[in-house]
Amino acid sequence: MGNQFLLIISATIFCIGSVGFLIRRNPLIMFMCIELMLNAVNLLLVGYSGFLNSLDGQIFALMIMAVAAAEVVVGLAIILTIFRTRHELDVDHMNVLKG
Amino acid sequence: MFLYAWLILILPLLGFVALSWVGNRLPEKLAGLAGCATVGASFLVTLICAGKMIGLEPADRLNHVEILYTWISSGSFNLDLAILVDPLSIFMFLIVTGVGFLIHVYSISYMKGDPEFSRFFAYLNLFIFSMLLLVAAADFFFLIVGWALVGLASYLLIGFWRDKTSAVLAARKAFIMNVIGDVGMVIAAFVIFDNFGTLNFVDVFSAAPDQFRLNDDTILLITLLLLVGAFAKSAQLPLHTWLPDAMEGPTPVSALIHAATMVTAGVYLVARCHVLYELAPYTMFLIAGIGALTAIFAGSMALVQYDIKRVIAYSTMSQLGFMFLAVGVGAFSIGMFHLMTHAFFKALLFLAAGSVIHGLNGEQDIRKMGGLRKVMPLTHITFLVGALALAGFPLTSGFFSKEAIIMSSFYSPLGNFVFWGIAVIAAGMTGFYIFRVYFYTFYGSSRSPEVHSHESPLVMLGPLLALAGLALVGGVLGPWTHEFLAPVFGVESPHYHDVMLETVTVVIGLGGILIAALIYLTSSDRLEFAKQAFAPLYDLLLNKYYVDEIYDFLIVKPTKAIGVFLEEKGEKYGIDYAVDEVGRQVRYVSSLVSLWQSGKVRTYALNMMAGLVVVLLFVVFL
Repeated sequence: MGNQFLLIISATIFCIGSVGFLIRRNPLIMFMCIELMLNAVNLLLVGYSGFLNSLDGQIFALMIMAVAAAEVVVGLAIILTIFRTRHELDVDHMNVLKG
Repeated sequence: MFLYAWLILILPLLGFVALSWVGNRLPEKLAGLAGCATVGASFLVTLICAGKMIGLEPADRLNHVEILYTWISSGSFNLDLAILVDPLSIFMFLIVTGVGFLIHVYSISYMKGDPEFSRFFAYLNLFIFSMLLLVAAADFFFLIVGWALVGLASYLLIGFWRDKTSAVLAARKAFIMNVIGDVGMVIAAFVIFDNFGTLNFVDVFSAAPDQFRLNDDTILLITLLLLVGAFAKSAQLPLHTWLPDAMEGPTPVSALIHAATMVTAGVYLVARCHVLYELAPYTMFLIAGIGALTAIFAGSMALVQYDIKRVIAYSTMSQLGFMFLAVGVGAFSIGMFHLMTHAFFKALLFLAAGSVIHGLNGEQDIRKMGGLRKVMPLTHITFLVGALALAGFPLTSGFFSKEAIIMSSFYSPLGNFVFWGIAVIAAGMTGFYIFRVYFYTFYGSSRSPEVHSHESPLVMLGPLLALAGLALVGGVLGPWTHEFLAPVFGVESPHYHDVMLETVTVVIGLGGILIAALIYLTSSDRLEFAKQAFAPLYDLLLNKYYVDEIYDFLIVKPTKAIGVFLEEKGEKYGIDYAVDEVGRQVRYVSSLVSLWQSGKVRTYALNMMAGLVVVLLFVVFL
């Protein structure tokens, strides 16, 4: 069963994340969905690192966590500012940059 | 060997840079001193060079090319930053820096109190540098650079009083006329490079006699194209209209640029390229013909003008005609000799006229002058010396050079009776018109008593006296000039003597002076009578043969009409429409494309996801 199970779990989490990202309108929830997707990948990397007896995957996972943390810092700051100025959070209303 | 000759060029350039940089912060005295000192130092270096050159054997005097460094080296094309030091360029250095220095000194007093005093001196120094570059150039490239730079300096100085509309228009006219000549020069340089593969004077001139037979098409083309430049710069027919208008500039400018130095560049060019011109006798004939025509044509216009500076300007054109006549008949060193004596007496006449104008608070109309010989005794004497030299009065400098030209126009192999006749009549006119001005200005009683005229200060009189001395005794330099320049021109120009012809020339020249005295000194009845007897001719001359009007009708008006047509039709319906249409189309396309950018984050996400799926499918199944 081993790595098949791992693949199914990872793919499932990734799909949940991506569908959630597409259908939700609250940016905070969308952020969580992004985290889901990233961590699905992390899961896969760490799991395969165990199967293949290589540390590369685990190092890579650590890198992704660091990047994700940085991204969340920036993103949350933006979301906070938007909420302060507009008193609402709905990505469908944030369309002033449309062509 | 003559590397320090570069100093001659660099010093005025330094003066220009310094004066244009900090000039307006310097007090007037210091700015004037800086302007004069650089040119004076340059003159001293020239003297050293000349002394060294005279010490050399005649055969060793040629082709000293002093290279600073190689500027461009591309394939077979090689361009050195170099000057050519030989007797001809030294001769021109002496005139440019010597006369230029005197005029600089004079300008200190003439321009006193002008709010842009230092700008004037900066331009004067720029001019001296450009002129020196022109005569020092060792190849056609730097010749053209100098050629264009003197045109620029001339433009800047004619239009120096930039709030005076007529001065600005005159500057523009001079510039346009000169650029017509520059175009000829540039094309000539292309043809030369095409045929010789180099632009160096030394290489071109040594290769030319082997490469071309007499009157070959190519050599005619080259010489004629160079001639366009020479005629434009030296105000010969038909490119002469700018010179009289150039008198709008300050008087020292007229003396320096439009009499003594720049306008003689054309004569210098023909002399410098004499190897090429000797291969093209047809062109030589044209030069002599145009020179003779200009001499008489400009002389006749000078007969009736009332502006003191304009009379002298027409006289300059006329004398340049004499120089071209001389070089056109192959008497190169005689032409250069007249160039030198002319620089002396014409600069003198202009500066003396400037002194008169200065003394009369800017009055230039000779009808409003008169009786100045008592008020301005020194100016009077110097003007008289200049006038005598110009008229070729025996034993003055102009007598020797003009006599030599008139003799060679008859006796030299390329001369003939017609040239001689025209030259003699032009010489007679010279005596008349300059003494007409002289009697108007200095004799009789003052015609505008309300102006309190005064003698000019010593700073102005000093250069006047120095030039008067040169104009008076400059003739003794004649034999030296011919001997000094002989290595350049191959052989010394022979001197022709014919007592009868010389007597005729002198008598006609003196006759002109006498007629002027009769008409202007005795009574005004004769003047009125003469005016009425020659009324149509008088009008024709007063209106300068209507050349300006003809050019206006033939060139300016059609050009303007084409311009208006193109502006109204071509620009509106052609260029504007095309540009607008391109703009409209771009805007339309971009409005379509920008629909993609909905501004909705989730749409973008969906697109990204869809793209990812497509890429995945592509990778997995293909």
